[in-house]
Amino acid sequence: MTEDNWVYVCNTNEIDLEDLKRFDYENKSVCIYKLEDGFFATDGLCTHEQVHLENGLVMDGEIECPMHQGIFDIKTGEAKSPPACEDLKTYSVKIEKDKIFIKL
Amino acid sequence: MGENIVIVGGGQAGAYAINSIRKINTDCYITLISEETELPYERPPLSKECIKGEKKYQDCIIFDKSYYEKNNINLNLNTIVEDVDVKSSKIKIFQNTDVSFDKLLICTGSNNKKIKIDGLMENDIFQLRNIDECKKIMNKSQAVENILIIGGGFIGLEIASSLSKFKKNISVIEIGKQLMGRVIPKEIADIMLVKHKKNNVNIFVDTQILKILKSGNNYEVRLTNGKIIKSEMIIAGIGVEPQVSLLKETTIRLDNGILTNHFCNTSIENIYAAGDVCNFFHPSYNKYIRLESWQHAQKHGSVAGKNIIGKNISYDEVPWMWSNQYDYNLQLTGITNDYDSIVKRGSNIDEGIIYFYLKNNKIRGACGIGKFGKIGKEIKLAGILSKAKKEINENKLSDVNQKLQKI
Repeated sequence: MTEDNWVYVCNTNEIDLEDLKRFDYENKSVCIYKLEDGFFATDGLCTHEQVHLENGLVMDGEIECPMHQGIFDIKTGEAKSPPACEDLKTYSVKIEKDKIFIKL
Repeated sequence: MGENIVIVGGGQAGAYAINSIRKINTDCYITLISEETELPYERPPLSKECIKGEKKYQDCIIFDKSYYEKNNINLNLNTIVEDVDVKSSKIKIFQNTDVSFDKLLICTGSNNKKIKIDGLMENDIFQLRNIDECKKIMNKSQAVENILIIGGGFIGLEIASSLSKFKKNISVIEIGKQLMGRVIPKEIADIMLVKHKKNNVNIFVDTQILKILKSGNNYEVRLTNGKIIKSEMIIAGIGVEPQVSLLKETTIRLDNGILTNHFCNTSIENIYAAGDVCNFFHPSYNKYIRLESWQHAQKHGSVAGKNIIGKNISYDEVPWMWSNQYDYNLQLTGITNDYDSIVKRGSNIDEGIIYFYLKNNKIRGACGIGKFGKIGKEIKLAGILSKAKKEINENKLSDVNQKLQKI
């Protein structure tokens, strides 16, 4: 279900606070996060070794890769801690009637 | 004029020390001296992707050549340090060239322990520490059918896992009563043992080599359990020792490595050390520990770099390490040998199984195993909880329906 290039992901109540949901769309895999100040989205694969961030820890606005503990800022995608050194791509998110859409 | 900083050892710790220094200070002079001919690279892939030919050295370098040029790092690769003169703050490199320093950081890492077997020469036994040795193992293993691995620790088992992909007949001999016995709890080691057997790797624990007879390119290996194994290639992974030979004649205090405090200072004021080579004081455990892990080398190197240029950061990272074998990922955090209670969480290997080691209702450490990536979050949280020394409800901890983050 798309509207321009905004893609419906799930309803807002499907993601816990300080947690994420994996969303696969065509050949992309994305993570959608719920933080205190809203929903955010990044690429789903760590830029270090392409491990999926789905099982990573969300804490203090950051996502940590579950394999090698590289850390990224969820809002900006910035690589914050090695071995991650390449930033993570981020995506725009909008909420309409409790539905989460991301711009792919 | 900036300070003159010399770093000896071009591994993970040395590279990340440079990185942390340059993030803060662009004035100081930095010289890196490394025995290896290559720029610093990550070693974990050697026993995993590289040995299978899936990754090359270029894929493992930590920072490429342009990084060192751009950051004005004086690189001395393929260079052996012959002497450290603590009193006059100089080191001697080959051809008797002196290199002076204001601050010295030693990150020489560790060396593989050598095994001596009657009737065999050193070149009969392959070992894995660097990219050259990796290439040699890769090439030789492709040309043989039967491979004997001495040592059922991380390296031996990762090599077994990697080479099993090529349908080789692999046998692993382990002297201890379980695999990976030095750091991994038996509960987890036994899960990995079953995995190896399912992949047709022969594992012999509690077993030693009685004798090896060499005939041409073939070895006949007689074991203490009465078995005889035929092999055309022997690989040993029997542990490492800190690389401190350079310092034996100096006044730098050594005891199972270089003794450092939690600021990476050695017993000599302007000399620091980081990574595997250190037996460092860990303030959370109130004792000296020596770690041989990638994460430790990286983080310890980073902290040492910052402290060299005047920061005062206490290193109290919770130990963490991992191993990949087949499609299983094993992770360990904290310490798992000092506990009064064990709590198991999860029973399905696909979702991950974690054992928590508690003392006085507080997590001391945890070790888990699961499909790639599955246990990372909970192991990390276990590390955070152990550092926080928070009392934990064991029933909640064992219940996979209770999010660990909320406990």
